[in-house]
Order: sequence, then structure tokens, then C-alpha cells
Amino acid sequence: MDIEDIKKLANMARIDMEENEMAEIAKSFGSILSYVGQVQEVSDVAGNELSHDLVENHRLHNVMREDFATNKTGEYTERIMKEAPAIENGFIKVKQIL
Amino acid sequence: MIDLRTLTIKKAHEHLKNGDFTVTDLVNAYLSVIKEKNEEINAYLEIYSDVFDQVKIAEEMFKNGTATIMTGIPVAIKDNMLFLSHIASASSHILENYTATYDSFVVKQLKNEGMVILGRTNMDEFAMGSSTETSAYGNTKNPLDLSRVPGGSSGGSVAALAMDGALVSLGSDTGGSIRQPAAFCGLVGIKPTYGAVSRFGIISMGSSLDQVGTFGKNVEDAELLYNTINGYDEHDSTSVKIEDRSKPEPLKRKIGVPRSFLSGEGIDKEIIKNFEENCKKLEKAGYEIIDISLPLIKYSLAVYYIISPAEVSSNLARYDGIRYGLHSEADKLYDVYAKSRGKGFGKEVRRRILLGTYILSYGYYDAYYNKAIKVRNAIKQELTKAFMSVDAIITPTSPFMPFKFGEKLEDPVGMYLSDLFSVPANIADIPAISIPSGKNNEGLPFGLHIMAPLFREDILFTIGKDFEKQV
Repeated sequence: MDIEDIKKLANMARIDMEENEMAEIAKSFGSILSYVGQVQEVSDVAGNELSHDLVENHRLHNVMREDFATNKTGEYTERIMKEAPAIENGFIKVKQIL
Repeated sequence: MIDLRTLTIKKAHEHLKNGDFTVTDLVNAYLSVIKEKNEEINAYLEIYSDVFDQVKIAEEMFKNGTATIMTGIPVAIKDNMLFLSHIASASSHILENYTATYDSFVVKQLKNEGMVILGRTNMDEFAMGSSTETSAYGNTKNPLDLSRVPGGSSGGSVAALAMDGALVSLGSDTGGSIRQPAAFCGLVGIKPTYGAVSRFGIISMGSSLDQVGTFGKNVEDAELLYNTINGYDEHDSTSVKIEDRSKPEPLKRKIGVPRSFLSGEGIDKEIIKNFEENCKKLEKAGYEIIDISLPLIKYSLAVYYIISPAEVSSNLARYDGIRYGLHSEADKLYDVYAKSRGKGFGKEVRRRILLGTYILSYGYYDAYYNKAIKVRNAIKQELTKAFMSVDAIITPTSPFMPFKFGEKLEDPVGMYLSDLFSVPANIADIPAISIPSGKNNEGLPFGLHIMAPLFREDILFTIGKDFEKQV
């Protein structure tokens, strides 16, 4: 992995970074990726032996609720708006997108 | 004078009930320790200004007969737990001035019992780290040896307890962030089953791995606090209803040891020696120790460092400098994002977001993420099978002793190895506990790590208490 790859990732992740930090990250990615690459050696064998009865993923299911308001109108508005860096006429201010 | 060193929840409750001291006296005793020691140790980032309003509520509960065993007990919370109208920063600059707009489930539970929340504790930024050195607000020192780290990421919560700055505390654990610091500071720390404690109002790191848990000076205190925060919550879609959880069954009194997992590189010899002694103590307590084979468990850490950065990169996308948190002004929208995030996130957080972005990008998603999910399921299966013949599985908590500041900060893989023994429990969603198991000749503590099947925290408490009697 080289610094150009890191630049692309930083761009996708929307993070401003100094060149020297990108170089350092590129270097550390080498050792991290070679460590986590271990999963590639075992995933096929491990995956083939999977039995769905034993893996407890069946506990996972969609959680639904009725579509109704759980709080009074405006109950949280003031608190939440107070956290925004810039507001105007009761709206959070954003930059022009187009 | 209240002897804080030997105080437990039960003892404190008896004294409060008998009127030997009041909640005000108890809280003042802790506050004076904090005043004396916190500047050096940096366990707390903030002592809340409304502590005595909370004390008043607790004392009222004692007066009107609604007090429970937890009422008036001083507790510390980690800086990633929302407490309405109080700052919660995840020890990051990006949330430096963020004031919680609601209560997390766990804080609500503490309030319901009339517990006194003293303050918020230092942590690795967004819980990414094993030493509390990645905090934007300075290092926390290990109260047992000020030249060493307290572990992490919940380093402030353990240090607060170890310096007698609280009676119990809450932490969160994504890969070992409760158990490793508990071991480093000679305390008990429990990570409950995924889905046992609601994550509502906890600042997310890895959503399929995060779980809130508790610290105490002994198993009973950690258990009592766990009982307080344990429960179903409709606001967390991964919270499991009580009727869907496995029920306690009689123990087989058999404990498994995954021998080959303990013979890997980078594990301190003195830790293995202490572990062998621990096995003998458990035998003395009436448990049969059995060698078991878990060939896949050693891949847990590699799986973790794929899944967790992937989840981190998507979870932390919410910090955009627009709705809340740090904002850097710029002409274009892209620059507002990039500057706010560049300035607001620290180095390790930036590294992990980029790693996750890489892992989830086109072409690498299959090579890393999908393969890690497959191995994760295989590890869950391996452990489920193992628990058919044993009640619990034990290892040391950490592969090495508490280290010095800076020792591992520049070596990410070395730091990540801290979680070698603790991470399988997060990968498999199962509960695990770390219990103090003596000290070395430098006075640094060892920890015994016990894992149990899903929702069988009761096994951890039973074995833990039996083990405590032998130490």
C-alpha cells in the first residue's frame, strides 16, 4: 500500500491529513493487513463446516414497532438544536451543495 | 473516617441503613480522595456539579423507605455514556463540548436505584486502544504503579476504583476494554453477553461487539452493579428479551483449558506460570480442569481487526461537523467535513477509520470482511460445541503485564495483541470476567479470564467467587 492509496481512503473517509501521517499509516497498514490476512487461510475450511443449528445467529431477527411518535412534538428540539454549530430560523445551517 | 479500601456495596448499605454514616459522608469521603489523587492519576475528566443533588435524592429514598441495596452507592461512568445535560466526549476533541440530549439506558438504571454518579472517566478515544494513551485529554496512570498504563480502553473507570475514587464503575468492552484494564489494576471486570445490557445512549464503536459492563473490587460488587444495568430495552434492537435468554442450570463443575492457544508467541512466561497455579486453585475448589481443543479461537484477533474497523468507519461517519460536535469553517461542504474530522479525530481513530474504509471498499470487501464473518461464525460454533462438555473456558486475561507509557504506542499490532485472550468473547457474543489472581514480585497484578455460554453470567459469578476464596 502506498501513499496514493492512503490519500484516496482519506478522501473517501472525509479526513484531512498531513502527508507524513499518511506515510506512517501506509507503513502500519502493511503489518496490520498481513496480520488480519490470516482469516483468508482458514475461512474456506471454517465456512464449510458451519452448521446453522449451532451458530446462534438465529437469535437475530428484525425488530419492528408500530409507526407512531414516541415523544411530544418539540420535546427534544431545543436540546438538539443547541448542539448544532450554526442555526438559522430554527434550521441547522449547511453549506450549499449544488 | 470511612475505610474505603475495604468497603463493599453490602457493607456500605448496612452502614447507610444503620445510620453509621450518611450518603453525604460517603460521597464526601470519595470526593476528598479524588481531590487528593486525581490530578496525578487523571482517572476522572470531570466531577459532575450536581453530585449533591443526586445525594439528596438518595437520602430521601432512605428516609421514605424506598432505598435499595444500590441507593447512595458512588459510581463512576465511562466518558462514552450519555447522561442528560452532562458532557459526554468519548475522550475525543470532536465531542469536547457535546452535551447529552438524553439519558442512556444504563444511566437511567443507575438513577432509578438512586446511585450517585460522581463523574465521567478517561478512556482511549472512542474506546480505540488498550492503554488509555489515545485519549485527547492526557494519560491515565495506573494507581498501582504510576509509571505504567492502567490498560484500556476503560482505563479511567478502573483507575477511579483502584485509587478509591469510587466504589464501583461502568466500562464498555468491544474487544477487552473492561477485562484487560481490570487485570492491569487488580480489579474484577465483567463483559456481559451481547444483548444483555442495552447499548442505547452509548457512543458506538463496533456495534456488533460493544457491550457495557461493570467493575468492582470483588465479584459480588461487580455482580450487584451488573444486576442493576442488566435488562431488556426496546430502544436497542439487539437487546434480548428476558424470556429468550438461557436459564441457569446446575454446573457440571468442569472447566476447559485451550492448551494450544496458550503456547503462542508473545505471551509472558510469568503469566503462564500464574495461570497454571490458578488451575490448581480451581481444582482445589472442586472443579475438574480439562484440556480442550479450540483450533479456530486463535483467529479471533484477526477477525476482530477486520470487523471492528469496518464498523468503526461506518459508525464514525456521523461526526460531520454540522449537526453537533466540533465544526471547522470552510467554503465548501466537503472541506467542512474533512477539516472538522481531520481536526476532531486523533491519530489512532483516523488510522482505524481508514483501515475500515479500505476493508469495506470494492474488491476488498470479499477478501476481508466476508471472510471474517465466516470465521466469526465458525468460532461461535467451535465455542458452542465446547460448552457442551464444560461450564466455562479459562485463559489468562492479558498476554503481558501492565506496560510503561509509550512502550507500545508506536507499534499498532503489538498494542492490538493486548486483546488476544479477551477478544474471542466479543467475537462469540459470550460473557466473560477477569478476576485478580495474585501479583508478581514487582507488585503488578495478574488476571484470570473466564468465559461462559450465552447469558450464563451466573457461571462466571459462581466460579469467580469460588476462585476468590482460594486467592
